[in-house]
Amino acid sequence: MKRGPTPSRRAPRAQLPQGGLRGLLRKSRQGLLWSLSWGLSGGVATGVPGLVSAQQIIVNPDVGVVAIDRNRARLIFSMRVNQWGDKQPVTVFVLPDDASLHQVFAKSALGLYPYQLRRTWDRLVFSGTGQAPVQVASEQEMIERVRQTAGAIGYISDQPDATGVKTVRVE
Amino acid sequence: MDNARPLIVTLALLFASSLATAQPTLPSGLRLHGFASQGAVHTSGNRFHGDSPKTSFDFTEIGLNASWRLNPRLLLAGQVLSRRAGDMSDGWPKVDFALADITLVTEDEARAGIRLGRLKNRLGLYNETRDVPFTHPGIFLPQVVYFDKVRNLVLATDGVQLHGELYQPFGTLSATLASGRPVVDENVEAALLRGQIPGSIEPRENSWLASLWFHSPTERIKFGLSGASIALQQDWNLTPATPTIDLTYWIASAQYNAEHWSFSTEYMGLPYRGRDFQPVRPNLSQTSEGYYAQLTYRPSPPLELMLRYEEGFADRDDRSGQTLARVSQGLLPKQSAYSRILSLGLRWDLSRQWMLRAEYQRHAGSFILSEIENPNLLEHDTHWDLFAVQAAFRF
Repeated sequence: MKRGPTPSRRAPRAQLPQGGLRGLLRKSRQGLLWSLSWGLSGGVATGVPGLVSAQQIIVNPDVGVVAIDRNRARLIFSMRVNQWGDKQPVTVFVLPDDASLHQVFAKSALGLYPYQLRRTWDRLVFSGTGQAPVQVASEQEMIERVRQTAGAIGYISDQPDATGVKTVRVE
Repeated sequence: MDNARPLIVTLALLFASSLATAQPTLPSGLRLHGFASQGAVHTSGNRFHGDSPKTSFDFTEIGLNASWRLNPRLLLAGQVLSRRAGDMSDGWPKVDFALADITLVTEDEARAGIRLGRLKNRLGLYNETRDVPFTHPGIFLPQVVYFDKVRNLVLATDGVQLHGELYQPFGTLSATLASGRPVVDENVEAALLRGQIPGSIEPRENSWLASLWFHSPTERIKFGLSGASIALQQDWNLTPATPTIDLTYWIASAQYNAEHWSFSTEYMGLPYRGRDFQPVRPNLSQTSEGYYAQLTYRPSPPLELMLRYEEGFADRDDRSGQTLARVSQGLLPKQSAYSRILSLGLRWDLSRQWMLRAEYQRHAGSFILSEIENPNLLEHDTHWDLFAVQAAFRF
Protein backbone atom coordinates (compact mmCIF):
# COMPACT_ATOMS: atom_id res chain seq x y z
CA MET A 1 0.00 0.00 0.00
CA LYS A 2 2.89 2.43 -0.64
CA ARG A 3 1.74 5.65 -2.23
CA GLY A 4 4.94 6.54 -4.10
CA PRO A 5 3.63 9.74 -5.68
CA THR A 6 6.92 11.61 -5.21
CA PRO A 7 8.33 11.84 -8.76
CA SER A 8 5.05 12.44 -10.55
CA ARG A 9 4.05 15.25 -8.12
CA ARG A 10 7.31 17.08 -8.41
CA ALA A 11 6.90 17.84 -12.11
CA PRO A 12 3.58 19.77 -12.09
CA ARG A 13 4.70 21.70 -9.00
CA ALA A 14 7.68 23.07 -10.88
CA GLN A 15 5.30 24.59 -13.45
CA LEU A 16 3.36 26.65 -10.89
CA PRO A 17 3.69 30.43 -11.32
CA GLN A 18 6.09 32.14 -8.94
CA GLY A 19 4.27 35.09 -7.34
CA GLY A 20 2.00 34.87 -4.29
CA LEU A 21 1.98 31.12 -4.08
CA ARG A 22 4.72 30.61 -1.55
CA GLY A 23 2.34 29.70 1.22
CA LEU A 24 0.56 27.23 -1.00
CA LEU A 25 3.85 25.74 -2.09
CA ARG A 26 5.03 25.41 1.47
CA LYS A 27 1.81 23.67 2.37
CA SER A 28 2.00 21.22 -0.52
CA ARG A 29 5.67 20.59 0.30
CA GLN A 30 4.62 19.78 3.85
CA GLY A 31 1.97 17.45 2.46
CA LEU A 32 4.56 15.84 0.25
CA LEU A 33 6.87 15.37 3.19
CA TRP A 34 4.06 13.74 5.01
CA SER A 35 3.16 11.29 2.33
CA LEU A 36 6.88 10.55 2.03
CA SER A 37 7.40 9.85 5.72
CA TRP A 38 4.10 7.94 5.78
CA GLY A 39 5.38 5.78 2.92
CA LEU A 40 8.79 5.27 4.52
CA SER A 41 7.42 4.36 7.90
CA GLY A 42 5.10 1.76 6.45
CA GLY A 43 2.01 4.01 6.37
CA VAL A 44 -1.22 2.11 6.30
CA ALA A 45 0.52 -1.26 6.46
CA THR A 46 1.72 -0.66 10.03
CA GLY A 47 -1.22 1.53 10.95
CA VAL A 48 -1.04 4.10 13.72
CA PRO A 49 2.36 3.14 15.23
CA GLY A 50 3.97 4.06 11.91
CA LEU A 51 2.44 7.52 12.21
CA VAL A 52 3.52 8.00 15.81
CA SER A 53 7.18 7.59 14.85
CA ALA A 54 6.69 10.34 12.27
CA GLN A 55 6.40 13.12 14.85
CA GLN A 56 7.74 13.85 18.28
CA ILE A 57 7.13 16.06 21.25
CA ILE A 58 9.85 18.64 21.90
CA VAL A 59 10.48 20.72 25.02
CA ASN A 60 12.80 23.51 26.06
CA PRO A 61 16.07 21.97 27.35
CA ASP A 62 15.40 23.32 30.88
CA VAL A 63 12.33 21.08 31.24
CA GLY A 64 13.35 18.15 33.42
CA VAL A 65 11.39 15.34 31.76
CA VAL A 66 12.62 12.69 29.31
CA ALA A 67 9.32 10.85 28.84
CA ILE A 68 5.68 11.79 29.10
CA ASP A 69 2.65 9.53 29.18
CA ARG A 70 -0.17 9.99 26.73
CA ASN A 71 -2.70 11.08 29.36
CA ARG A 72 -0.35 13.79 30.62
CA ALA A 73 0.40 14.95 27.07
CA ARG A 74 -3.36 15.20 26.47
CA LEU A 75 -3.87 17.25 29.64
CA ILE A 76 -1.01 19.60 28.71
CA PHE A 77 -2.12 20.15 25.09
CA SER A 78 -5.75 20.60 26.09
CA MET A 79 -4.48 23.31 28.52
CA ARG A 80 -5.78 21.62 31.67
CA VAL A 81 -2.37 21.20 33.29
CA ASN A 82 -0.20 24.32 33.14
CA GLN A 83 2.74 23.41 35.38
CA TRP A 84 5.53 20.85 35.12
CA GLY A 85 6.22 18.51 38.05
CA ASP A 86 8.71 21.05 39.49
CA LYS A 87 5.98 23.78 39.29
CA GLN A 88 7.62 25.53 36.33
CA PRO A 89 4.92 27.11 34.09
CA VAL A 90 4.18 25.32 30.80
CA THR A 91 3.94 27.25 27.53
CA VAL A 92 2.26 25.23 24.79
CA PHE A 93 2.97 25.87 21.09
CA VAL A 94 0.84 24.42 18.30
CA LEU A 95 0.55 24.66 14.52
CA PRO A 96 -2.71 25.89 12.93
CA ASP A 97 -5.70 23.52 13.03
CA ASP A 98 -5.48 22.85 9.30
CA ALA A 99 -1.75 22.00 9.28
CA SER A 100 -1.34 18.33 8.43
CA LEU A 101 1.32 17.87 11.12
CA HIS A 102 -1.10 19.24 13.74
CA GLN A 103 -3.81 16.85 12.60
CA VAL A 104 -1.57 13.80 12.65
CA PHE A 105 -0.08 14.80 16.01
CA ALA A 106 -3.50 15.32 17.61
CA LYS A 107 -4.84 12.02 16.35
CA SER A 108 -1.86 9.70 16.82
CA ALA A 109 0.02 11.18 19.78
CA LEU A 110 -2.94 12.52 21.77
CA GLY A 111 -5.80 10.37 20.46
CA LEU A 112 -7.91 13.52 19.97
CA TYR A 113 -9.43 14.97 16.82
CA PRO A 114 -8.34 18.54 16.01
CA TYR A 115 -11.95 19.78 16.33
CA GLN A 116 -12.02 18.51 19.94
CA LEU A 117 -8.89 20.45 20.85
CA ARG A 118 -10.32 23.59 19.22
CA ARG A 119 -13.59 23.15 21.13
CA THR A 120 -11.75 22.75 24.45
CA TRP A 121 -9.55 25.82 23.84
CA ASP A 122 -12.52 27.94 22.71
CA ARG A 123 -14.45 27.04 25.84
CA LEU A 124 -11.52 28.06 28.05
CA VAL A 125 -10.91 31.34 26.21
CA PHE A 126 -14.51 32.48 25.83
CA SER A 127 -15.60 31.55 29.36
CA GLY A 128 -12.50 33.17 30.91
CA THR A 129 -11.42 29.93 32.58
CA GLY A 130 -8.17 29.41 30.68
CA GLN A 131 -6.04 30.27 27.68
CA ALA A 132 -5.40 28.72 24.28
CA PRO A 133 -1.93 27.54 23.18
CA VAL A 134 0.33 29.90 21.25
CA GLN A 135 -0.09 29.28 17.53
CA VAL A 136 3.01 29.29 15.33
CA ALA A 137 3.08 29.36 11.54
CA SER A 138 5.66 26.68 10.73
CA GLU A 139 7.72 23.85 12.12
CA GLN A 140 10.80 26.08 11.95
CA GLU A 141 9.07 28.72 14.08
CA MET A 142 7.93 25.96 16.46
CA ILE A 143 11.55 24.88 17.06
CA GLU A 144 12.67 28.49 17.41
CA ARG A 145 9.98 29.42 19.96
CA VAL A 146 10.36 26.23 22.01
CA ARG A 147 14.13 26.81 22.15
CA GLN A 148 13.65 30.42 23.35
CA THR A 149 10.82 29.90 25.86
CA ALA A 150 11.41 28.44 29.33
CA GLY A 151 9.02 25.58 30.09
CA ALA A 152 7.91 25.35 26.45
CA ILE A 153 6.44 22.27 24.76
CA GLY A 154 5.61 21.66 21.10
CA TYR A 155 5.92 19.01 18.42
CA ILE A 156 7.77 18.44 15.15
CA SER A 157 7.99 15.83 12.46
CA ASP A 158 11.06 13.64 12.94
CA GLN A 159 13.10 15.00 10.06
CA PRO A 160 14.04 18.66 10.61
CA ASP A 161 17.23 19.75 12.31
CA ALA A 162 16.06 20.35 15.86
CA THR A 163 19.11 21.60 17.68
CA GLY A 164 18.55 23.45 20.92
CA VAL A 165 15.38 21.60 21.87
CA LYS A 166 14.92 18.32 23.71
CA THR A 167 12.96 15.42 22.26
CA VAL A 168 10.59 13.71 24.70
CA ARG A 169 9.40 10.12 24.48
CA VAL A 170 5.63 9.50 24.55
CA GLU A 171 4.74 6.39 26.55
CA MET B 1 -29.05 54.86 14.13
CA ASP B 2 -30.06 51.93 11.96
CA ASN B 3 -27.75 53.12 9.20
CA ALA B 4 -24.85 53.44 11.60
CA ARG B 5 -24.91 49.78 12.59
CA PRO B 6 -23.05 48.26 9.61
CA LEU B 7 -20.43 50.99 10.03
CA ILE B 8 -19.98 50.13 13.70
CA VAL B 9 -19.60 46.45 12.85
CA THR B 10 -17.04 47.23 10.16
CA LEU B 11 -15.06 49.46 12.50
CA ALA B 12 -15.10 46.78 15.17
CA LEU B 13 -13.82 44.24 12.66
CA LEU B 14 -11.00 46.54 11.55
CA PHE B 15 -10.11 47.20 15.16
CA ALA B 16 -10.17 43.47 15.86
CA SER B 17 -7.98 42.66 12.85
CA SER B 18 -5.38 45.26 13.83
CA LEU B 19 -5.32 43.85 17.34
CA ALA B 20 -4.89 40.36 15.95
CA THR B 21 -1.86 41.34 13.92
CA ALA B 22 -0.40 43.26 16.86
CA GLN B 23 -0.68 40.17 19.10
CA PRO B 24 3.00 39.06 18.95
CA THR B 25 4.10 42.34 20.60
CA LEU B 26 1.88 41.89 23.68
CA PRO B 27 3.51 41.17 27.04
CA SER B 28 3.87 37.48 27.75
CA GLY B 29 0.83 35.98 29.39
CA LEU B 30 -1.58 38.59 27.98
CA ARG B 31 -3.87 37.37 25.21
CA LEU B 32 -6.50 39.18 23.18
CA HIS B 33 -9.26 37.49 21.25
CA GLY B 34 -12.51 38.60 19.73
CA PHE B 35 -15.36 37.80 17.42
CA ALA B 36 -18.05 39.52 15.41
CA SER B 37 -21.06 38.12 13.61
CA GLN B 38 -23.91 39.43 11.53
CA GLY B 39 -27.04 37.41 10.83
CA ALA B 40 -30.07 37.75 8.60
CA VAL B 41 -33.30 36.07 9.73
CA HIS B 42 -36.44 35.51 7.70
CA THR B 43 -39.61 33.90 9.04
CA SER B 44 -42.90 33.07 7.38
CA GLY B 45 -44.68 34.57 10.42
CA ASN B 46 -43.88 35.54 14.06
CA ARG B 47 -41.01 37.83 14.99
CA PHE B 48 -37.67 36.23 15.90
CA HIS B 49 -34.58 38.43 16.39
CA GLY B 50 -36.27 41.48 14.92
CA ASP B 51 -38.86 42.06 12.23
CA SER B 52 -38.10 38.70 10.65
CA PRO B 53 -41.27 38.39 8.49
CA LYS B 54 -39.71 41.25 6.47
CA THR B 55 -36.18 39.77 6.90
CA SER B 56 -34.33 41.11 9.90
CA PHE B 57 -30.67 42.09 10.12
CA ASP B 58 -31.03 42.92 13.82
CA PHE B 59 -28.82 40.05 14.91
CA THR B 60 -25.27 41.19 15.59
CA GLU B 61 -22.77 39.91 18.14
CA ILE B 62 -19.40 41.52 18.86
CA GLY B 63 -17.11 40.38 21.65
CA LEU B 64 -13.68 41.48 22.81
CA ASN B 65 -11.83 39.20 25.17
CA ALA B 66 -8.64 39.57 27.19
CA SER B 67 -6.93 37.19 29.56
CA TRP B 68 -3.76 37.63 31.49
CA ARG B 69 -1.93 34.78 33.17
CA LEU B 70 0.15 36.52 35.82
CA ASN B 71 1.52 33.20 37.06
CA PRO B 72 0.44 29.56 36.90
CA ARG B 73 -1.86 30.11 39.86
CA LEU B 74 -3.57 33.34 38.84
CA LEU B 75 -5.52 34.15 35.69
CA LEU B 76 -7.43 37.40 35.13
CA ALA B 77 -9.98 37.31 32.30
CA GLY B 78 -12.74 39.51 30.95
CA GLN B 79 -15.02 39.91 27.97
CA VAL B 80 -17.17 42.76 26.73
CA LEU B 81 -20.13 41.76 24.61
CA SER B 82 -22.38 43.81 22.37
CA ARG B 83 -25.41 41.80 21.35
CA ARG B 84 -28.21 43.07 19.22
CA ALA B 85 -31.10 40.61 18.97
CA GLY B 86 -34.30 42.29 17.78
CA ASP B 87 -36.28 43.76 20.67
CA MET B 88 -34.68 41.35 23.16
CA SER B 89 -31.27 42.99 23.26
CA ASP B 90 -30.22 46.44 22.06
CA GLY B 91 -26.51 45.96 21.40
CA TRP B 92 -25.34 48.16 24.25
CA PRO B 93 -21.92 46.76 25.32
CA LYS B 94 -22.01 44.79 28.57
CA VAL B 95 -19.45 43.07 30.74
CA ASP B 96 -20.05 39.45 29.81
CA PHE B 97 -17.59 38.17 32.39
CA ALA B 98 -14.75 39.62 34.47
CA LEU B 99 -13.04 37.27 36.85
CA ALA B 100 -9.99 36.18 38.77
CA ASP B 101 -9.27 32.45 38.63
CA ILE B 102 -7.04 31.31 41.48
CA THR B 103 -5.62 27.79 41.42
CA LEU B 104 -5.37 26.45 44.97
CA VAL B 105 -4.27 22.86 44.37
CA THR B 106 -2.34 21.33 41.47
CA GLU B 107 -1.34 17.71 41.68
CA ASP B 108 -0.64 15.16 38.96
CA GLU B 109 -4.14 13.75 39.32
CA ALA B 110 -6.16 16.75 40.45
CA ARG B 111 -6.62 20.48 40.25
CA ALA B 112 -8.87 22.76 42.28
CA GLY B 113 -9.40 26.47 42.60
CA ILE B 114 -11.71 29.38 43.13
CA ARG B 115 -13.11 32.00 40.75
CA LEU B 116 -14.37 35.42 41.80
CA GLY B 117 -16.24 38.09 39.86
CA ARG B 118 -18.84 37.93 37.10
CA LEU B 119 -18.81 34.29 36.03
CA LYS B 120 -20.42 32.52 33.09
CA ASN B 121 -22.64 29.75 34.41
CA ARG B 122 -21.52 26.23 33.62
CA LEU B 123 -24.93 24.98 32.49
CA GLY B 124 -25.34 22.37 29.79
CA LEU B 125 -22.98 21.90 26.86
CA TYR B 126 -23.25 25.44 25.52
CA ASN B 127 -24.26 28.09 28.07
CA GLU B 128 -20.75 29.29 28.94
CA THR B 129 -19.97 30.28 25.36
CA ARG B 130 -23.52 30.73 24.06
CA ASP B 131 -22.82 34.06 22.35
CA VAL B 132 -19.69 32.94 20.50
CA PRO B 133 -20.90 31.74 17.10
CA PHE B 134 -17.93 29.43 16.48
CA THR B 135 -18.60 27.41 19.60
CA HIS B 136 -22.14 26.23 18.93
CA PRO B 137 -23.61 23.81 16.43
CA GLY B 138 -26.01 26.12 14.58
CA ILE B 139 -26.84 29.80 14.20
CA PHE B 140 -29.30 29.40 17.07
CA LEU B 141 -28.87 27.14 20.07
CA PRO B 142 -31.72 24.72 20.75
CA GLN B 143 -34.26 27.24 22.04
CA VAL B 144 -36.23 24.77 24.16
CA VAL B 145 -33.16 24.34 26.40
CA TYR B 146 -31.20 27.58 25.89
CA PHE B 147 -34.05 30.12 25.67
CA ASP B 148 -32.86 33.35 24.08
CA LYS B 149 -36.03 34.97 25.45
CA VAL B 150 -34.78 34.51 29.05
CA ARG B 151 -31.06 34.11 28.43
CA ASN B 152 -29.98 36.52 31.14
CA LEU B 153 -31.58 34.49 33.89
CA VAL B 154 -29.03 31.71 33.49
CA LEU B 155 -26.23 33.50 31.66
CA ALA B 156 -23.94 34.73 34.41
CA THR B 157 -23.62 35.19 38.15
CA ASP B 158 -21.86 37.88 40.17
CA GLY B 159 -20.29 35.79 42.87
CA VAL B 160 -17.90 33.02 43.69
CA GLN B 161 -17.30 29.56 42.24
CA LEU B 162 -15.31 26.60 43.53
CA HIS B 163 -14.07 24.23 40.85
CA GLY B 164 -12.21 20.96 40.85
CA GLU B 165 -10.99 18.40 38.30
CA LEU B 166 -9.89 14.84 38.87
CA TYR B 167 -7.77 13.13 36.20
CA GLN B 168 -8.01 9.34 36.22
CA PRO B 169 -7.04 6.68 33.67
CA PHE B 170 -10.77 6.06 33.03
CA GLY B 171 -11.45 9.74 32.36
CA THR B 172 -11.82 13.18 33.86
CA LEU B 173 -14.35 14.23 36.49
CA SER B 174 -14.96 17.93 36.96
CA ALA B 175 -17.28 19.77 39.30
CA THR B 176 -18.28 23.34 40.09
CA LEU B 177 -20.25 24.92 42.91
CA ALA B 178 -21.17 28.59 42.70
CA SER B 179 -23.23 31.19 44.51
CA GLY B 180 -24.08 34.80 43.79
CA ARG B 181 -26.51 37.32 42.32
CA PRO B 182 -28.11 36.38 39.01
CA VAL B 183 -28.26 39.00 36.28
CA VAL B 184 -31.96 39.59 35.41
CA ASP B 185 -33.72 41.94 33.00
CA GLU B 186 -37.12 42.70 31.49
CA ASN B 187 -36.90 39.64 29.22
CA VAL B 188 -37.00 37.43 32.31
CA GLU B 189 -40.15 39.10 33.55
CA ALA B 190 -41.87 38.90 30.17
CA ALA B 191 -41.08 35.22 29.75
CA LEU B 192 -41.81 33.97 33.27
CA LEU B 193 -44.95 36.03 33.75
CA ARG B 194 -46.04 35.92 30.10
CA GLY B 195 -46.22 39.63 29.50
CA GLN B 196 -45.21 42.75 31.38
CA ILE B 197 -46.71 43.65 34.73
CA PRO B 198 -46.16 46.63 37.07
CA GLY B 199 -42.84 47.00 38.88
CA SER B 200 -39.57 45.29 38.09
CA ILE B 201 -38.18 41.85 38.74
CA GLU B 202 -35.01 41.44 40.79
CA PRO B 203 -33.04 38.77 42.66
CA ARG B 204 -34.45 37.99 46.12
CA GLU B 205 -31.60 35.84 47.41
CA ASN B 206 -28.30 34.54 46.11
CA SER B 207 -28.55 31.81 43.48
CA TRP B 208 -26.86 28.46 43.84
CA LEU B 209 -25.35 26.64 40.89
CA ALA B 210 -23.67 23.26 40.61
CA SER B 211 -22.35 21.06 37.83
CA LEU B 212 -20.77 17.62 37.53
CA TRP B 213 -19.13 16.42 34.32
CA PHE B 214 -17.43 13.24 33.19
CA HIS B 215 -15.55 12.67 29.99
CA SER B 216 -13.55 9.69 28.79
CA PRO B 217 -9.77 10.20 28.33
CA THR B 218 -10.08 10.98 24.61
CA GLU B 219 -13.39 12.84 25.15
CA ARG B 220 -15.32 10.41 22.97
CA ILE B 221 -18.03 10.30 25.63
CA LYS B 222 -19.16 13.21 27.76
CA PHE B 223 -21.87 13.28 30.43
CA GLY B 224 -22.99 16.18 32.53
CA LEU B 225 -25.52 17.26 35.08
CA SER B 226 -25.83 20.95 35.88
CA GLY B 227 -28.37 23.19 37.54
CA ALA B 228 -29.23 26.52 39.10
CA SER B 229 -31.61 27.44 41.88
CA ILE B 230 -32.86 31.01 41.61
CA ALA B 231 -35.08 33.16 43.85
CA LEU B 232 -36.65 36.34 42.44
CA GLN B 233 -39.15 38.94 43.58
CA GLN B 234 -41.36 41.51 41.88
CA ASP B 235 -40.73 44.96 43.27
CA TRP B 236 -44.14 46.64 43.19
CA ASN B 237 -46.53 48.55 45.47
CA LEU B 238 -49.83 47.24 44.13
CA THR B 239 -50.39 45.06 47.18
CA PRO B 240 -48.73 44.83 50.62
CA ALA B 241 -47.35 41.39 49.76
CA THR B 242 -44.15 41.09 47.71
CA PRO B 243 -44.67 38.62 44.85
CA THR B 244 -42.01 35.93 44.58
CA ILE B 245 -40.77 33.46 41.99
CA ASP B 246 -38.63 30.43 42.85
CA LEU B 247 -37.21 28.29 40.11
CA THR B 248 -34.76 25.52 39.42
CA TYR B 249 -33.18 25.17 35.99
CA TRP B 250 -31.35 21.93 35.37
CA ILE B 251 -29.87 20.16 32.36
CA ALA B 252 -28.75 16.57 31.82
CA SER B 253 -26.28 16.33 28.92
CA ALA B 254 -24.71 13.55 26.87
CA GLN B 255 -22.41 13.72 23.87
CA TYR B 256 -20.56 11.23 21.67
CA ASN B 257 -17.69 12.43 19.45
CA ALA B 258 -16.34 10.48 16.49
CA GLU B 259 -13.95 11.72 13.82
CA HIS B 260 -16.60 12.78 11.33
CA TRP B 261 -19.68 13.15 13.48
CA SER B 262 -20.91 14.10 16.93
CA PHE B 263 -24.19 13.24 18.61
CA SER B 264 -25.50 15.45 21.41
CA THR B 265 -28.64 15.27 23.46
CA GLU B 266 -29.85 17.26 26.46
CA TYR B 267 -32.89 17.40 28.70
CA MET B 268 -33.86 20.59 30.52
CA GLY B 269 -36.29 20.77 33.44
CA LEU B 270 -37.54 24.09 34.85
CA PRO B 271 -39.89 23.76 37.81
CA TYR B 272 -41.04 27.16 39.04
CA ARG B 273 -43.48 28.65 41.49
CA GLY B 274 -45.00 32.14 41.53
CA ARG B 275 -46.66 33.47 44.72
CA ASP B 276 -48.61 36.62 45.68
CA PHE B 277 -49.06 37.98 42.16
CA GLN B 278 -52.84 38.39 42.71
CA PRO B 279 -54.76 40.18 41.34
CA VAL B 280 -52.52 40.47 38.25
CA ARG B 281 -51.67 36.77 37.96
CA PRO B 282 -52.91 33.67 39.78
CA ASN B 283 -50.52 31.65 41.94
CA LEU B 284 -48.58 29.39 39.66
CA SER B 285 -46.75 26.13 40.12
CA GLN B 286 -45.62 24.23 37.05
CA THR B 287 -42.66 22.63 35.32
CA SER B 288 -41.42 23.64 31.90
CA GLU B 289 -39.30 21.17 30.00
CA GLY B 290 -37.33 20.87 26.79
CA TYR B 291 -35.13 18.30 25.10
CA TYR B 292 -33.34 17.78 21.82
CA ALA B 293 -31.26 15.31 19.84
CA GLN B 294 -28.65 16.68 17.46
CA LEU B 295 -26.32 15.16 14.90
CA THR B 296 -23.40 17.10 13.43
CA TYR B 297 -21.57 15.59 10.50
CA ARG B 298 -18.19 16.76 9.17
CA PRO B 299 -17.80 15.20 5.71
CA SER B 300 -14.55 17.08 4.97
CA PRO B 301 -12.77 19.84 6.92
CA PRO B 302 -14.37 23.12 5.77
CA LEU B 303 -17.95 21.80 5.90
CA GLU B 304 -20.23 20.73 8.73
CA LEU B 305 -23.87 19.67 8.53
CA MET B 306 -26.31 19.74 11.43
CA LEU B 307 -29.64 17.99 11.98
CA ARG B 308 -31.64 18.59 15.15
CA TYR B 309 -35.06 17.85 16.54
CA GLU B 310 -36.31 19.52 19.69
CA GLU B 311 -39.48 19.76 21.76
CA GLY B 312 -40.33 22.14 24.58
CA PHE B 313 -43.39 22.73 26.76
CA ALA B 314 -44.39 25.59 29.06
CA ASP B 315 -46.09 23.07 31.35
CA ARG B 316 -45.22 19.42 31.00
CA ASP B 317 -48.65 18.45 32.35
CA ASP B 318 -50.33 20.47 29.59
CA ARG B 319 -48.36 19.66 26.45
CA SER B 320 -51.22 20.49 24.10
CA GLY B 321 -51.88 23.86 25.76
CA GLN B 322 -55.61 23.15 26.14
CA THR B 323 -55.62 23.77 29.89
CA LEU B 324 -53.69 27.02 29.38
CA ALA B 325 -56.19 28.24 26.78
CA ARG B 326 -59.14 27.31 29.02
CA VAL B 327 -57.76 28.78 32.27
CA SER B 328 -56.71 32.02 30.55
CA GLN B 329 -60.14 32.16 28.86
CA GLY B 330 -58.48 32.19 25.46
CA LEU B 331 -56.03 35.02 26.19
CA LEU B 332 -53.12 32.58 26.00
CA PRO B 333 -53.63 30.39 22.92
CA LYS B 334 -52.77 26.73 23.11
CA GLN B 335 -49.91 26.97 20.56
CA SER B 336 -48.02 29.27 22.95
CA ALA B 337 -47.63 26.28 25.30
CA TYR B 338 -45.37 24.18 23.07
CA SER B 339 -42.65 24.23 20.41
CA ARG B 340 -41.59 21.36 18.18
CA ILE B 341 -38.69 22.31 15.92
CA LEU B 342 -36.79 20.54 13.17
CA SER B 343 -33.52 22.26 12.17
CA LEU B 344 -31.10 21.75 9.30
CA GLY B 345 -27.82 23.65 9.28
CA LEU B 346 -24.72 24.10 7.16
CA ARG B 347 -21.42 25.52 8.40
CA TRP B 348 -18.60 26.50 6.09
CA ASP B 349 -15.27 27.57 7.58
CA LEU B 350 -13.83 29.78 4.85
CA SER B 351 -10.57 30.26 6.72
CA ARG B 352 -9.22 30.16 10.26
CA GLN B 353 -10.98 33.47 10.89
CA TRP B 354 -14.13 33.48 8.78
CA MET B 355 -17.20 31.27 8.96
CA LEU B 356 -20.47 31.24 7.01
CA ARG B 357 -23.64 29.52 8.12
CA ALA B 358 -27.10 28.80 6.79
CA GLU B 359 -29.99 27.29 8.73
CA TYR B 360 -33.57 26.23 8.10
CA GLN B 361 -36.09 25.52 10.86
CA ARG B 362 -39.64 24.19 10.71
CA HIS B 363 -41.67 25.15 13.77
CA ALA B 364 -44.91 23.91 15.26
CA GLY B 365 -45.99 26.09 18.19
CA SER B 366 -44.70 29.39 19.55
CA PHE B 367 -43.47 28.58 23.07
CA ILE B 368 -39.90 29.70 22.29
CA LEU B 369 -40.94 33.13 21.00
CA SER B 370 -40.17 36.23 23.02
CA GLU B 371 -43.26 37.89 24.51
CA ILE B 372 -41.46 41.22 24.11
CA GLU B 373 -41.06 40.67 20.38
CA ASN B 374 -44.53 39.13 19.97
CA PRO B 375 -46.74 40.89 22.54
CA ASN B 376 -50.02 39.76 21.04
CA LEU B 377 -49.99 36.05 21.73
CA LEU B 378 -53.25 35.51 19.87
CA GLU B 379 -51.56 36.48 16.61
CA HIS B 380 -48.88 33.79 16.88
CA ASP B 381 -48.71 31.53 13.85
CA THR B 382 -48.79 27.88 14.88
CA HIS B 383 -46.87 26.53 11.90
CA TRP B 384 -44.00 28.65 10.66
CA ASP B 385 -40.64 28.48 8.91
CA LEU B 386 -37.36 30.18 9.65
CA PHE B 387 -34.43 30.71 7.33
CA ALA B 388 -31.22 32.36 8.52
CA VAL B 389 -27.71 33.05 7.29
CA GLN B 390 -24.77 34.31 9.34
CA ALA B 391 -21.22 35.49 8.70
CA ALA B 392 -18.76 35.39 11.59
CA PHE B 393 -15.21 36.54 12.15
CA ARG B 394 -12.79 35.67 14.94
CA PHE B 395 -9.21 36.27 15.96
